[in-house]
Amino acid sequence: MNRKDLRPKDLGKSQEQLIQLDNLMPLSFPYDQPEMEPAFPDVKPEWKDKYCTSLDGCVALDTLQRPQNEAEEKELVQKFLNGLEKAFSDANTGVLQPLKLAVDYCAKCNTCSDACHIYKASGDNELYRPIFRAEAFRKIYKNHFTPGGKLYKRFIGADMDLNWETVARLGELAYRCNLCRRCTQVCPLGLDNSLFAKEIRKIFSQEMGIAPTPLHEKGSMLQLKTGSSTGIGKAAFVDMVEFLEEDIEDRIGRKIKIPIDKQGADILLIHNAGEFVAWPENPAAFAILFDEAGVDWTLSSSMMGYDSVNYGIWYDDTQAKKIIQQQMRAARELGVRRIVIGECGHAHKAAGLVADRMLSAEEKIPVESWIPVMWELVKTGRLKFDPSKNNFPVTLHDPCNIVRQMGIVQPQREILKVIAPQFREMEPHGVDNYCCGGGSGFAIMHSPNFEHFRNKVSSRMKFDQILRAFSDTIADNSIPKYVCAPCSNCKGSMREIFKYYQVTAKFNMQYGGLVELMVNALTSLNQPYLEFLEG
Amino acid sequence: MILGLSFYMAVILFIGLSVYQVIKFAKMPLHGRMELYPVPQEKGRHTYGGSYMEEPEWWRKSRQISKAAEITDMLKEMLFIKKLFDNHRSLWWLSYSFHLGIYVLIIWTILLIIGALTELSGIPVSASVSFWMALLYYLTVVTGIIGFTITTVGVFLLLVRRIFDPVLKKYTTPQEYFNLLLLLATLLTGIVVWTPDLSFASARQIMAQILTLSVIPNVMLVIHLVLAEVMFIYIPPSKMGHYVGKYFTYHKILWDNEPNLAGSPVESRVKAALATQAKTSWGASHIQTSQAPEA
Repeated sequence: MNRKDLRPKDLGKSQEQLIQLDNLMPLSFPYDQPEMEPAFPDVKPEWKDKYCTSLDGCVALDTLQRPQNEAEEKELVQKFLNGLEKAFSDANTGVLQPLKLAVDYCAKCNTCSDACHIYKASGDNELYRPIFRAEAFRKIYKNHFTPGGKLYKRFIGADMDLNWETVARLGELAYRCNLCRRCTQVCPLGLDNSLFAKEIRKIFSQEMGIAPTPLHEKGSMLQLKTGSSTGIGKAAFVDMVEFLEEDIEDRIGRKIKIPIDKQGADILLIHNAGEFVAWPENPAAFAILFDEAGVDWTLSSSMMGYDSVNYGIWYDDTQAKKIIQQQMRAARELGVRRIVIGECGHAHKAAGLVADRMLSAEEKIPVESWIPVMWELVKTGRLKFDPSKNNFPVTLHDPCNIVRQMGIVQPQREILKVIAPQFREMEPHGVDNYCCGGGSGFAIMHSPNFEHFRNKVSSRMKFDQILRAFSDTIADNSIPKYVCAPCSNCKGSMREIFKYYQVTAKFNMQYGGLVELMVNALTSLNQPYLEFLEG
Repeated sequence: MILGLSFYMAVILFIGLSVYQVIKFAKMPLHGRMELYPVPQEKGRHTYGGSYMEEPEWWRKSRQISKAAEITDMLKEMLFIKKLFDNHRSLWWLSYSFHLGIYVLIIWTILLIIGALTELSGIPVSASVSFWMALLYYLTVVTGIIGFTITTVGVFLLLVRRIFDPVLKKYTTPQEYFNLLLLLATLLTGIVVWTPDLSFASARQIMAQILTLSVIPNVMLVIHLVLAEVMFIYIPPSKMGHYVGKYFTYHKILWDNEPNLAGSPVESRVKAALATQAKTSWGASHIQTSQAPEA
């Protein structure tokens, strides 16, 4: 099908694959040559039978199994409709008003399209236009839940039938949006298009019991069972912290006791537990900085107290609430004065914003971002830096959850001004930033082939921004170039695109958080902290 | 008599239905935090999109709120449609012509009513009577000509753009064309009724007839008044009533970053929400329904 002719109604068409991703946005130098980028692998025939590959060939919903007969098809369509009705009921109060406004008032001005990094990266593919998904949702809702005969329904645009293929494709399409809300920022009516993607995800999970395995079964369910989405239990966590202490001593020759379960500490620091597994240098850097500045802090080893993640906020409000309640309970039991969230964007939003109105004021411990806390330590001279240690190009990625959605914009830049003499902004940046492409769960969703969508499409705009930020030095392999991404999820996206496009091997491009860069510049350290600077 | 009365009724219904829409949205349950930066009332920080959460231990500090910045940003949207200007300039020209025209026509209508009442009280509205009468006379002429011209051109071009722009066309429903056609028809018949005499003396007479419930009907006037009345009643519940929606999306959602602190007004709303038992529950096996605001 000519992608320009694609309409929301076509979601129900029996067609092997609605669109082909064959006209992606060109990348900047040196990725402007076709051979620099891997091609999409073919869709395996067994996937076509098992999953919904009929949208764009990619699969996000690995638990969505193709029905085997008409009765199963009908059952799933009915469940979807039940969920859609509940989305507008008292089961969904926290979003009712914004959702109803977004359904009622869209002026179809199409201002949102140019703000969407996925739409632009796809080469303006109609399927990813923000109003495409919104209009499909609207049509189905109006068709099934507003009164009137056929003529009237046609008049109000409620003329979209619902078959199994439509439901399945909508489920997949809900995972072609990073929920970054950049489209909302430009909407002249202030409507939130990301709500449609989020609500479809919720209907699938909360009513149909269908959600991507990495988010649900191996994510929030595992976290509720073991205390962490990594599956790490208390004993293993304590071991890991001990290992971290040894690692710090090996690396910088400093013996640091990382406090665990210190009753009544000023700060309970909660990391994304994935950091301990994938990037232990990040929690280690926090320990070094807090130790040097003499902060009264602790980690928690109690159930749910050592993992700040909350995948529920991407697809299932009920899961989000259960996790938030238990995280807060862990903090209350420790009797800390405040919770500080480490370098994890969605955990900032979950604990800082979503939890804010999910719990009563007494149930909560005040939550804040690590960024202002750390800026205070820098500003007041409790941490001292030699910026010449970081004398290489550095650019900053703004995690959407921390920046656009929480307004924490300036302190991280103030820190970078102190520690990174070659800091340069990406364009656009700050609250106008583009998502890393891993937002809303994409960074941890890989199989069967979703990683290709992420690396080639949803992360494409960010990758291009990075290439442009380093255009002056990219060709010189002797100069390391550092993408500072102070968020686990964003770092996950960086890891994946760096691997996919081989930018570290080819162009000496590196990535990491902000605290690692801070530790590297500490005056008190005698050797580099960043591994790529070691001889 | 009926034409005059129905016109009053339509105006009252317009106001009443708009208020009803406001109440409908205002009574909806408290939603989760969904602010989006920049938030204008963040004093000293809104220029770059910062918030109070940039402060360490923000909950211990008094918040720096600028109501003036909130009002300024609101006025920029209301008077200039700034978001569209910044992000979709080609459409802004058309949309702004139309919306500015509406504002000018509202002023013209008020001037026409003042003029009609003045003449009913025996003072002729003419350039030669007094300074104030001259001002009223000329302002009516200027606002009438500009208002009808730019509103009609704007709505006509919005319709043309929607028909010929392949993307807009694809997503436009018959009802959305109807909305524009209704506005265009009301404006075109309005031009025939109100502007044949560009001094607007005859327009003042018609307005005086409406005000005194003594309309002398002619075909065009009847068509125009009926269209205008339908339009007034139809706008509030339709998406053309977005003057209501926009208040909520900006002030109550995107700019609402009020934290749930002990003793705050938000706290009592959260408590009330937590105490409310939902009648509906989700069906998946891992769910136990919760009632708190979720986002």
